[in-house]
Amino acid sequence: MSYVKEKATITLTVNGETHELEVGPGPSQVAPWHTLAQTLRETLGLTGTKIGCDHGGCGSCTVLVDGKAILSCITLSVECDGKSVTTIEGLGSPPGRAPDPIQQAFIDHTAFQCGFCTPGIIMASKALLEKTPSPHESEVKDALSGHFCRCISHYHVVRAVMAAAKKGS
Amino acid sequence: MATKYRFIGKATPRKDALEIVQGKAQFIDDVKRPGMLCGKVLRSPYPHAGILKIDTTKAEALPGVRAVLTYKNVPDWKGGVPRHVKVLDNKVRFVGDGVALVAADTEEQANKALEQIEVVYEELPAVYDVEEAIQPDAPQLYEEFPRNLVPTNVKVFGPKTLSNVVMGDVDKGFKEADFIGEGTYAYENVANPLPLEPPGVIAEWQGPDQLTVWSATQSASWHRFIMVSKMGFPDIRAISTHCGGSFGSKNYSAQPLFYAAALSKVTGKPVKVMYTKEEQFGAFVLRLGSRFRGKVGIKKDGTVTAVSGEWFVDTGAFSDMAQAQVAVGCGEAQLMLRCANWDLQTKLVLTNRSASGVVRGFGGQELESAFHPILSIAMEQANLDPVEFFKKNYVKPGDGYYWREGNWWVCRGKDYSKAVVEGAKAFKWKDKWKGWLVPTAVDGSKRVGVGVGVHGNADVGEDDSEAYVRLNPDGTAVIHACVSESGMGQRSSLCKMAAEVLQIPLERVDMTPPDTLINPFDFGLVGSRGTYAVGSAVIAAAEDARRKILEVASSVLHAPPEELETTDGKVYVKTKPDSPVPWSRITGIMQTCTGFGRFTPDYSVPNFLILFVQVEVDIETGKVVLQHVVAATDAGQVIDPPSLEGQIYGSFGSAGTDTAIFEESVTDRKNGHLLNMNMIDYKWRTFSDLPEFRNVILETGIPSHRFKAVGVGEIATSPGPSAVLMAASNAVGKRLCEYPLTPEKILKALGKIKGA
Amino acid sequence: MMPFDHVNAGSPGEAVDLLTSYGGKGRLIAGGTDVLGILKDRILPDYPDVLINLKTIPGMDSIKESGEGLNIGALAKLADIASSPEIKAEYPALSLAAESVASPEIRTMATIGGNLCQDVRCWYYRYPHHMGGRMLCFRKGVGPCYAVKGDNRYHAVMGGKKCFAVCPSDTAIALCALQAKISIFGGEGTRTLPLEKFFTPMGNVLRSNELVKEILIPKPTQETRQAFIKFTERKPVDFAVASIACVLEILGGRCMDARIYLGGVAPMPWHAEAAERIIKGGSLDDPTAEEAALASVAGAKPLKGNAYKIEIVKALVKRALLRRQ
Repeated sequence: MSYVKEKATITLTVNGETHELEVGPGPSQVAPWHTLAQTLRETLGLTGTKIGCDHGGCGSCTVLVDGKAILSCITLSVECDGKSVTTIEGLGSPPGRAPDPIQQAFIDHTAFQCGFCTPGIIMASKALLEKTPSPHESEVKDALSGHFCRCISHYHVVRAVMAAAKKGS
Repeated sequence: MATKYRFIGKATPRKDALEIVQGKAQFIDDVKRPGMLCGKVLRSPYPHAGILKIDTTKAEALPGVRAVLTYKNVPDWKGGVPRHVKVLDNKVRFVGDGVALVAADTEEQANKALEQIEVVYEELPAVYDVEEAIQPDAPQLYEEFPRNLVPTNVKVFGPKTLSNVVMGDVDKGFKEADFIGEGTYAYENVANPLPLEPPGVIAEWQGPDQLTVWSATQSASWHRFIMVSKMGFPDIRAISTHCGGSFGSKNYSAQPLFYAAALSKVTGKPVKVMYTKEEQFGAFVLRLGSRFRGKVGIKKDGTVTAVSGEWFVDTGAFSDMAQAQVAVGCGEAQLMLRCANWDLQTKLVLTNRSASGVVRGFGGQELESAFHPILSIAMEQANLDPVEFFKKNYVKPGDGYYWREGNWWVCRGKDYSKAVVEGAKAFKWKDKWKGWLVPTAVDGSKRVGVGVGVHGNADVGEDDSEAYVRLNPDGTAVIHACVSESGMGQRSSLCKMAAEVLQIPLERVDMTPPDTLINPFDFGLVGSRGTYAVGSAVIAAAEDARRKILEVASSVLHAPPEELETTDGKVYVKTKPDSPVPWSRITGIMQTCTGFGRFTPDYSVPNFLILFVQVEVDIETGKVVLQHVVAATDAGQVIDPPSLEGQIYGSFGSAGTDTAIFEESVTDRKNGHLLNMNMIDYKWRTFSDLPEFRNVILETGIPSHRFKAVGVGEIATSPGPSAVLMAASNAVGKRLCEYPLTPEKILKALGKIKGA
Repeated sequence: MMPFDHVNAGSPGEAVDLLTSYGGKGRLIAGGTDVLGILKDRILPDYPDVLINLKTIPGMDSIKESGEGLNIGALAKLADIASSPEIKAEYPALSLAAESVASPEIRTMATIGGNLCQDVRCWYYRYPHHMGGRMLCFRKGVGPCYAVKGDNRYHAVMGGKKCFAVCPSDTAIALCALQAKISIFGGEGTRTLPLEKFFTPMGNVLRSNELVKEILIPKPTQETRQAFIKFTERKPVDFAVASIACVLEILGGRCMDARIYLGGVAPMPWHAEAAERIIKGGSLDDPTAEEAALASVAGAKPLKGNAYKIEIVKALVKRALLRRQ
């Protein structure tokens, strides 16, 4: 029997930069049991992606994989081989420097309190606006329905996303 | 408002906004120290058991394992009040209690080592109910506390610390009453404040008595001034990272800190103990349980004549803060009810569940939520409009009350009646209120009802704050104050206050990081004290710095200081605004000018919030939907509108209003297991379930603050739970008294299913 | 997570070979939204040596509509099913069921096969190992069902015997009502059975070397009326406290045929045949709906804390039949 055995390396394109990562348990490697959140944070040092519950139940680890918002804490890194990942650090132009319009809208509306849920919420909002540039308020709420914010920044967040959409259109 | 401010009251971007939206803000799990080890905790499978044997040899032999600690070799530090909670004990008191600690190079190694620790337990009977726990034959958690009663006469706030409310003559008061509400009601769903970021601590010893701790905390200094006495008085340097929410719970993290510090001490390396979500749910901080048995007497006109009863406070397996919360709860009850005759006694009881700690609402919410059904019974008998009742009975200027440290204070705040009236107007209370147990509207199986609650706290002026404000020659200013950021935006607001005093652009004001080594003392951001207490210290420091630079400028500009003004980092003679001189020419480029400010406690200015809620109850399914909320308060002067609004929206998060709808910690009392330790079974409000929410914020200035402001953030959660009970009761026409109002409880109350 | 190996399967055959060669120590992963939670919490005494990734099997995520009906590959994402215009138009019960699952991110990741095969949400079964040790219960082969004497608010009111965990799948009841068939691939080839027969009180009929390959749904007739209602404490995120999917054939105002399935109330999708019998042949008015509602819960045996579910089911049945919310 010949299977598609695990490759010795995987290729992750993160925020436009391609990383060739060895598969293994070492500190700079990606182990088969590592989640994408873990790899982003521990191996690549991109700590903007937050781990809130580590079970896919709070949305704070949301990143874009091939443009879609997914939960990086319940995604295996080895299953992202060849894929393109965008994290909060990849937003803006240039990335990580001047804020993206959606980030600017969050600044303008103080659409956060403690800020721990913010990267995940911004990534999900980004995915929504890419697909639905002029969403109805209820679409914004639905798109963010898996995101836990304990401070209750919801009202400001909805305003910010709607404002960003308005600006974009 | 008559006063025109340059920054105060205007929405300005948070100073940390860019780092937050770009993911650059550092939270505790983003911090790494060189050579850092991972600390993990082995947790108890039993709610109550003795440890007969514990063998760590196999675990110690595993690769990467640097230390394994048990009760036998852990440092002799103690928490609890009075001190009785060991870091690890030869006994466990709740499912999930700490049994052993491991430090290893990696998390995987640490987890593997936990599996290899062999423990033999002797199971002991457990107790979960406060009134069962105080029976003579009840299982006893600590030898030193017979009948599981923790002393309440502990001097946490000085020799007269409040542990009851006794004044006047209650017998006489009840005789004067036209109506008496009576019964036993409980707020015992011990909800979780549940900040999104789990707690975590990094500990690193620099020497045998010198410890540095990094943590995500709401009040950086607590890890120094509260923990030193528990840990044999080492010199603790406490540094706070950004804090991913706290709501009281992460003011300090005693257990994780004990664990990290113990492991760091024996390994000589920095150790991080980062709790998982499950540990946060099941082994960190829950709300106190609260049960009230008593009565209240009122007259026809709503005058309260007497309050008496016994308040049973369930701390779980231990608590560092229960006595403090009892003290504040006793104080807050008096703010809500102007009454001359009180006999309110308290009992602090240990039970075999995870510990209680600091949670927003701090005793007051717990007492109020258990007491409210009794009050509602009295109001209902008297057929009083609760809004009118609360308006009449909330503390007024000139009224007195005992506050937490036991002193009698006379209110010199304001009359909040206007906030009540404006809130009621915004909510359309008069249209919606149809009387007790009468729905506002009926549509098929859907019944709409309204309810209201009030809360206030005199802790806005609690404890001490100190600050320095340093003026740099380049026209910038730096605030030195030990203030963390856990969501209130207070660091930003303090910068605004300093910028306003100094009249320099907001972007020229910065703040030192929350680090006890480099800052003077600040008690932290608790009890809505940020604006009034911390703010006043910063304002005083800025004023002092301003005064000093004008004094120096006096000799440069040849005019007395009182004739000088400073704006945008330049000083000028008031009559000659066209010839300003930059600070650099006043001080020279090698000198700075530093002012100092201090705030000392002042409990005479209570804050206030009234919360109106409208719920819809489906009488076929029992589902309760929160539809509309109006929160009304008077903040004196808003410092930063979006930050204040955000704090008030927070009323249904962090174990607040939703503890009456779906939030609870579900424990199986057969085996002590907490069952809903995950983000699906522990219910929290989602974006798709948002009620319409309106804030009514008045600005009636209070003279004792430079900008006439008073904080209100903390109390936003407190009036909600009881208001929801009232609203749902009115909706269905039956008195509902149990938290939370799950479909089961509603259908039971309606007689559609049998009672348990 | 504790270590495991990971292998990408290139075809269903490869996946089955891998399952066989790892002899019970291999576990399939598709969307991963369920299995990774199980592994993180180590709720089961057995921990796999290897995860066999199905997502690398080409073509198994297709959604194909034809004159005959709908073929959905097991790897089709719930988000794609929920947003498919064809499914919305012809199979609204399925569309609504898929849309009701969890959150948008989860639906983007989770597959229909995984939704049908997911493990139960019983909070005793799912008790996280690192919080004092997993709870060994009847479902794990050792011990009692803790729900019987414990907090059983989310447990079964019907059909429970030794284990009272409920089937958590939202799509299962919609698919059963739509008379879907499930195609299972294994060492002995492909077998196809009505979806209803797929579920067992303790899970499903999948053997250790089998996987779900495809769901086949016959095209509903013109006269079909479908409904899916899920009762939860919150709109998104939650699993069903109780739910209903029904597919009715309405001709000249009369209900000619009916298929009603209940979710969240039994270890399997619960076929409410008694309710079907009552509405068949008559017009759907209030008294009939009321009677059907009562019939749907006849024989229910609630535990101490979940009788409320019966009331909810009755309300859902009425609302589904009368098209009210």
